Amino acid sequence: MTDKTIIHVIDDDGAMRDSLAFLLDVNGFQARVYESANAFLGGIGNEAINCVISDIRMPGMNGIELVRKLKGQGAACAVILITGHGDVALAVEAMKAGAVDFIEKPFDDEALLGAIRAALGTRATSPEESTARKEAEARLAELSPRERDVLQGLVAGKINKVIAHDLSISPRTVEVYRANLMAKTGARSMSELMRIALAAGL
Amino acid sequence: MTAQRRFWLRYGSAAVAAAVVFALRFLLHFQFEDRTFTVIYVPVVVLAAFAGGRGPAIFATLLCLGSSFYFLGSSLYTSPANLIDVSFFAVMGPVLGEIGNRLLQETEDARYRQAQLQSILDTVPEAMIVIDDRGIMRSFSVTAERLFGWQAAEAIGKNVAILMPTPYRQEHDGYLDRYRRTGERRIIGIGRIVVGERKDGSTFPMELAVGEAKVGKEQFFTGFVRDLTERRSQERRMQELQSELVHVSRLTAMGEMASSLAHELNQPLSAITSYLRGAATLLKAGEIDKDRIREAMDRSATQALRAGDIIKRLREFVAKGETEHTIENPAILLEEAAALALVGAREQGVRVSLRSDHELPDIVVDKIQIQQVALNLIRNAIEAMETTSRRELTIGVSRQNAFAFFAVADTGTGIAPEIAQHLFQPFVTSKASGMGVGLSICRTIIEAHGGRIAARANDGGGTVFEFTLPFAEPETGHDR
Repeated sequence: MTDKTIIHVIDDDGAMRDSLAFLLDVNGFQARVYESANAFLGGIGNEAINCVISDIRMPGMNGIELVRKLKGQGAACAVILITGHGDVALAVEAMKAGAVDFIEKPFDDEALLGAIRAALGTRATSPEESTARKEAEARLAELSPRERDVLQGLVAGKINKVIAHDLSISPRTVEVYRANLMAKTGARSMSELMRIALAAGL
Repeated sequence: MTAQRRFWLRYGSAAVAAAVVFALRFLLHFQFEDRTFTVIYVPVVVLAAFAGGRGPAIFATLLCLGSSFYFLGSSLYTSPANLIDVSFFAVMGPVLGEIGNRLLQETEDARYRQAQLQSILDTVPEAMIVIDDRGIMRSFSVTAERLFGWQAAEAIGKNVAILMPTPYRQEHDGYLDRYRRTGERRIIGIGRIVVGERKDGSTFPMELAVGEAKVGKEQFFTGFVRDLTERRSQERRMQELQSELVHVSRLTAMGEMASSLAHELNQPLSAITSYLRGAATLLKAGEIDKDRIREAMDRSATQALRAGDIIKRLREFVAKGETEHTIENPAILLEEAAALALVGAREQGVRVSLRSDHELPDIVVDKIQIQQVALNLIRNAIEAMETTSRRELTIGVSRQNAFAFFAVADTGTGIAPEIAQHLFQPFVTSKASGMGVGLSICRTIIEAHGGRIAARANDGGGTVFEFTLPFAEPETGHDR
């Protein structure tokens, strides 16, 4: 039992904590649950942290602040953020803060488990980060200059209208570019697109 | 009349009267010889006193004394009888003058008050009608002439019922009779919104305030009438805008509420997904841990119920809203709404009959909302009869167990079966230009008040809309 990887789960909702603990447990992980970011920070001590799953909206410190704090302390742990309020701006902020993934509630188990495995893999094979970057760059290589501009706007957290204004195109055109971006990079969600863009160093 | 002219009139008339009597005395001089006979001067002083007041009276007295002296010379004061006579006359003159002065003052005051009252009555925006206890009009103001189209000369002497549409026209004598017998005040001192009828037969909503007065054995009722047509149409427009606004703001609030509830809904849904997926993973294992699976399923069921509670809260929010509840009489509530809704109905040839039970207990409701429902139903009914030849609208409220039972029946085109099923759902309409939200809002309002609303086919063709509202609890309902 001791060889089970410990996953730290932070959510202010009791049912969310319990169900995640159950899901992680039956999939061979050991879950430790906390009802707030502060409870988590106070409870971990000096032990090494592999992976954290945290809600974004919580009383007290929110999930993104937690990621920044962990990164600021130089912690090597991977943080997966989950939220019921999925939107592009939040996803970008989360990815920029250093979260490895951003998942919208409700999610399928495979989405979460895949993210956990990827996070643990990334962390374990840190030297491969450059290959991830190369892969990401390869996926972005096909983008036209205009599509790249739009992607940069998205990464900057701008909404469609602002991007359209900055590039002197119509918001409708921005939407078309966004659809193209998703298709060309093979991203299934905005958060995945953000991850690719950030990995490529955009 | 200038003050100067007035002065000459007062004193001049006194002088002329004195001169006339002087002439008379001159002609009769041989009859009296040396007796004073001051009685002949009394009418002069009286005339001067009542026409001119104190000053002219004294002036006339002096003239008459002079006249006596002219005829009698020194015997006026040497003869004791003459002296007494003349002295009385000299005292009586100023006294009469004083009395005349007061009378003049009072007459002046009365005239002034009368003029003031008349100017007020002519200028107040309300029409004023005075009737006696048999309902016969005794006074009909200028504004009333304008409002009802009757000349005062035509109206005075007629029964006030001619100013009301049926069924009130036939019932008004009964109302007066009932008041005489029971003394129960239905309108006196309260004021209500009722329907008036002009000479040309058109009707209009009006606000009626009635006061009563007893003069001797006679009893009078004074009615002040304010035309609500213009004010009402403005208010109705405002109300329409407001209710639209309330609706829009509620939709906006609903949107925000829905967004936050959607987020909240994601929590149990995520939990359910995790429990069930986890349980499915357990089922794939060689050795099935039934207890753990059952527990996971129980917990996901609990979360499903939690999701249901969240949705219920959203629905409650939609149905409720900020309302102000007051105690209302169902019949009056309905009649007031009808008075507004029936503006112009007569012109469209709609025969309206109101059949309400006035003895019903009170209801506690948001008056504006319920009147909106009634107004909506009545307007719909009138609209439904636009194309039919028989146009009869029956409105009323009666008792049905613990509920006030409101009904609006028309003889219109009726409701198509395919619409009937979805009648109270939003965005269902049979109107060419309709949003189809009226009846759904009606249902929301009625159900929020603990009542029900339904439509059925009218026996003689057309539709009957019925809604119920619970009577107030006995402990709160009998405080009036």
